[in-house]
Amino acid sequence: MNNLVLTIALPLLGAFLLPVLMRLSQAIGLWLGPIILGYGCWLLGNLWFSDISLPLSIVIGGFDAPYGINLYLDSLALLFAFAVQLLGLICWPYALNQDTARRQALMLLLVAASTGLALSGDLFNLYVFYELAAVATFGLVAASTTSAAYAATFRYLILSGIGSVLTLLGIAMIYSQTGTLNLAHLAQLAPELLHDRLGLTAYLLILIGIGVKAELFPVNAWVPEIYATASSRLSGFLAGLLSKLALLIILRLLVLIFDQPEAVQIVLILGILGVVSGEFAAWRAKDMRRMLGFSSIGQLGIVFIALSLPDERGLLALLALSLHHLVIKTGLFMLADGWGGSLERLTGAAKRSPVGAALFTLFALSLVGVPPLPGFWAKFTLITELAAQSEPLYLIGLLVFLLATVIETSYLFRIVAKLYSSAGTTTEQPEHQHLPGLSLATASLFGITLLAATVLIAPIGDGLQAIATEAKNAELYIQTVMPVTPGGQL
Amino acid sequence: MRNLTGLLFAGGLGFMLLAIASGIDFGSPPMRIGEAIQSASPQEVGAANIVTSVVLGYRGIDTLGELAILFAAASAAGLVLGRRHTTTGTQRKGGFVLFHGGALIFPFLLTIGFYIIFHGHLTPGGGFQGGVILAAAFFLPLLARPGARLHHSILSVIEAFAGASFILIGLAALAEGQAFLQPMLNQDTLGALISAGTLPLLYIAVGLKVGAELASLLSNLAQTESEQ
Repeated sequence: MNNLVLTIALPLLGAFLLPVLMRLSQAIGLWLGPIILGYGCWLLGNLWFSDISLPLSIVIGGFDAPYGINLYLDSLALLFAFAVQLLGLICWPYALNQDTARRQALMLLLVAASTGLALSGDLFNLYVFYELAAVATFGLVAASTTSAAYAATFRYLILSGIGSVLTLLGIAMIYSQTGTLNLAHLAQLAPELLHDRLGLTAYLLILIGIGVKAELFPVNAWVPEIYATASSRLSGFLAGLLSKLALLIILRLLVLIFDQPEAVQIVLILGILGVVSGEFAAWRAKDMRRMLGFSSIGQLGIVFIALSLPDERGLLALLALSLHHLVIKTGLFMLADGWGGSLERLTGAAKRSPVGAALFTLFALSLVGVPPLPGFWAKFTLITELAAQSEPLYLIGLLVFLLATVIETSYLFRIVAKLYSSAGTTTEQPEHQHLPGLSLATASLFGITLLAATVLIAPIGDGLQAIATEAKNAELYIQTVMPVTPGGQL
Repeated sequence: MRNLTGLLFAGGLGFMLLAIASGIDFGSPPMRIGEAIQSASPQEVGAANIVTSVVLGYRGIDTLGELAILFAAASAAGLVLGRRHTTTGTQRKGGFVLFHGGALIFPFLLTIGFYIIFHGHLTPGGGFQGGVILAAAFFLPLLARPGARLHHSILSVIEAFAGASFILIGLAALAEGQAFLQPMLNQDTLGALISAGTLPLLYIAVGLKVGAELASLLSNLAQTESEQ
């Protein structure tokens, strides 16, 4: 069971050794990363199907929680950890050039950090992994070495730096009030020590700081530039997964520590603002990748609205929307690999790449929420939940959400229409945009996943419901991490 | 407009923090975990320096994360800077004092760097601090003779194996059926040079990795600068 830590330790080990191994033998170097990630997938997949009873807590260094650091594994964490390793494998930078060793090492670090974010049960440890993910991302984005990429990275660096400082400040405030960093221990102490003005401030600081990665409303200015300049595989990983991991941290904080109406309200308000700003900006965008970036802000705003819902059905909606967005957005970014640049150039692209156009249509249909596709069920759960709330703010959320769906339909199907239009303009650009085979294959993989989910919607819904119930249970978390209440002086 | 927004934001943040800070009573922080670790760590870990037992024992994986962050930063800097590689040595050489002073001080820097690393579990200091001093020792000759080059391949080998050995020591505990990064070996007498089990080994790995990393990062920067 202690093996779980290998999913973090082995990618780190691989990253440290990769630059040297690559010089010794290129073959070993090239295979090292995919093998490590494949092993991680196998390990976590095995856990899923084994009969080990979840949730469980694994201590690192042999010091019991709350003294040492522990990993907390419930179905939700397992699901995300598996998604990290798998998506790391799918979005692996296979392309070779002179910086391959460095880029692959950074990608391994990003995967290790993301796995840590999914699993860690310690507030400061989460911060360390969060920083590691941020620094690895800077390197990977700057690896495009265009001046636009440098400018985008610089903006990201500044915003992310501010976010880190705010997060650290929030963590320091929490530590100054409680004297502990373990999430379960904090959950125990929170009603007494953190449910006041100071605690809420600390929460707000962490929310804004972590929100930089989760594309939260006021701190998401980096999103369109980064997604427009970074490689599509990296953008897919960042938009699809890293944003969800930041969301997972906020979810844990909300469930365990800041279980207060004010804390939830601020998430709802920021979510609504994110939806409005993101969707309108996406509607006006003239470039495929930029549009996807803005649309991702809008989608995450919707997920934040779901996060603010009080009960388990709300958490179910959150999980469904997150996973749906993960599949769709990563797939769309794969398609954007060949279709970047101005939207005008996509006129009649369906003829040159019928599969790509079909996939785009499929993703668009599901993103908008057309009935048999999974997107419909995710959105439907959210709508019924929002409508069931009595507070007026939730109704505003519902209205904004419906408006966002209309705008989404408008800009996505504008592109679909363009793809299938029989190029009326004879002065078509000579540069035909072809989708690279690898990206198309990856996008097809996501398309197939989506269709499979359509067929299996009932069991998936039940599974997610079980995960949501488990994740919402703060008492279970505390009991799992600290079966014995720590000694008297605590 | 933009400046005004920035000013408003900073002012608001400052006001909020002041208002909050006025609510904290100073001088009596709760030490729930801190006190427990202080009383238990000499027996549990066996390091005379309690900070070390926290850094490498109780919160070992945080330290591994910090190492990885440093590595990520160095790799990222290498990606951005690493492309231009023809050093022309147009810079003037350092003067007589710098040149010979550097040569004179080099062995002392090495000694003190390694001393701080080896005594990390006994006295203040440790792998990170000692590593920075080692890096400074190797960077000094570059300041005196701008044309000189460090052996990047040797540095990267040291760096890779130091980092790997930190993880491998942790994995060895895992293979023994214990937790990842659990301190192993004999604890020995508290305060002796050879004590505290695997902790000194971990600090040597940290020190070598930090030293090699910073030295190659600094020389990378110096080479890029010397072209402009």
